[in-house]
Amino acid sequence: MSRLLDAGLENLSTTLIKMGEIAENAVVTSIEGFLNGIDVINKVRSLSEALVSMRRKVEDDAFELIARYQPVASDLRILKSYMKIAYDLERYGRYALDISFDHKTFAKLEKGVLVDYKLEQLAEKVAKMVHMSITALKGHDAKLSKKLAGIENEVDELYMNVLKQFSRMPIRTKSLISNVLVVRYLERIADHATYIGESLVYIATGERVILR
Amino acid sequence: MSYKIEIEDLNAWFNAKKVLKDIYMKIPEKAVTAIIGPSGCGKTTLIRCINRMHELSPGGKVSGRVLLNGENIYAKDVDPVIIRRKVGMVFQKPNPFPMMSVYDNVAAGLKLTGLNDKSKLDEIVEKSLKLTSLWEEVKNELHKSGASLSGGQQQRLCIARALAVEPEVILMDEPTSALDPLASAKIEQLIRRLSKKYTIIIVTHNMQQAARVSDFTGFLYLGELVEFDETKKIFENPKTELTEKYITGEFG
Repeated sequence: MSRLLDAGLENLSTTLIKMGEIAENAVVTSIEGFLNGIDVINKVRSLSEALVSMRRKVEDDAFELIARYQPVASDLRILKSYMKIAYDLERYGRYALDISFDHKTFAKLEKGVLVDYKLEQLAEKVAKMVHMSITALKGHDAKLSKKLAGIENEVDELYMNVLKQFSRMPIRTKSLISNVLVVRYLERIADHATYIGESLVYIATGERVILR
Repeated sequence: MSYKIEIEDLNAWFNAKKVLKDIYMKIPEKAVTAIIGPSGCGKTTLIRCINRMHELSPGGKVSGRVLLNGENIYAKDVDPVIIRRKVGMVFQKPNPFPMMSVYDNVAAGLKLTGLNDKSKLDEIVEKSLKLTSLWEEVKNELHKSGASLSGGQQQRLCIARALAVEPEVILMDEPTSALDPLASAKIEQLIRRLSKKYTIIIVTHNMQQAARVSDFTGFLYLGELVEFDETKKIFENPKTELTEKYITGEFG
């Protein structure tokens, strides 16, 4: 027999998965815009704004379910984690918007990458982490979530590597600020992907892990 | 952590029907332990074994050990009356003695122990009523019938009656199930307050109540103790699937 709480949890899960798809779209669009020198800011902004209002809805709905049904055990873990994941997804959107904004403002939409292919590699890995985190979210997949830790280490290494390269560059380069900031945003997106993974492991097992 | 009660290999029957099976449990001192589980799982029988009341039920039989302060209450030389004084009980339905005044209800147990000193009785009655926050409400009506109080007040009167004989452990069998939410909340606050001085074991059907008032929770199912742990752990991340299913309302 399905419980009264189940319908609420299902609605919340549907909203969160929808958020995940929008967030992934925002990140991928901003990265492509940056790498190819295309102005995507309006599209990314509207995706980011949608994520902000959806996050509020997830929080309000989760709060209502707590007030109405006083959930415990895995139900409670799910609600706590969903609120947290909604925030992480909102941050995906916000960093995607920052990437597009800084690319336009400081690099005047110049084709993104200044140095060698490492920044592209970094962007690819971050996009992969975002995709993995959303896939894990859809299936509450703790095993897949734990795999995020490995890629996060690679991202961190590339991040330091790229920044070191930048530190050796002449400061007159027009795109430098944009590049530095974008690298930082990408690294933060990767962090949020691991936060999502941590929340999903917590839902599935109750275990509090750190995937960074 | 020190344990007030240690239950070892406890089994209980009603005639041929076994209702508790091989229970092992260590009840921490000066804390609230909640016993939860579906109807008929043995919750009430379990606490009635802790003050030797189960053996008074028709067909009631017990085997195993219940150690109170390290001493087996089922040892041959132990007087069950003494145990019931040390381990008080509060029932589901408030049951003040209807023909007695508020004062006499609280003093009843003391008088049975042979205490007749009026000033000593006054002192203990006042102290017990204060402990249950009833004093201010009834101090001018001490000679009114106990049955004239509201349901919540009657239950606090019963708790005061239990406290008057200075027990070490208080057993509560669904103490708020007959009360409205406000009266229940007062009892819950009282339970928390009393736990600083007494070891309390509460049987409850209301899982949120267990979550609110207890430090430890045991889940009983078909006479077996499925899981016993800190309340926080039981309600956040229970170890067994059966507990998870029960507390999330998938069965029961």
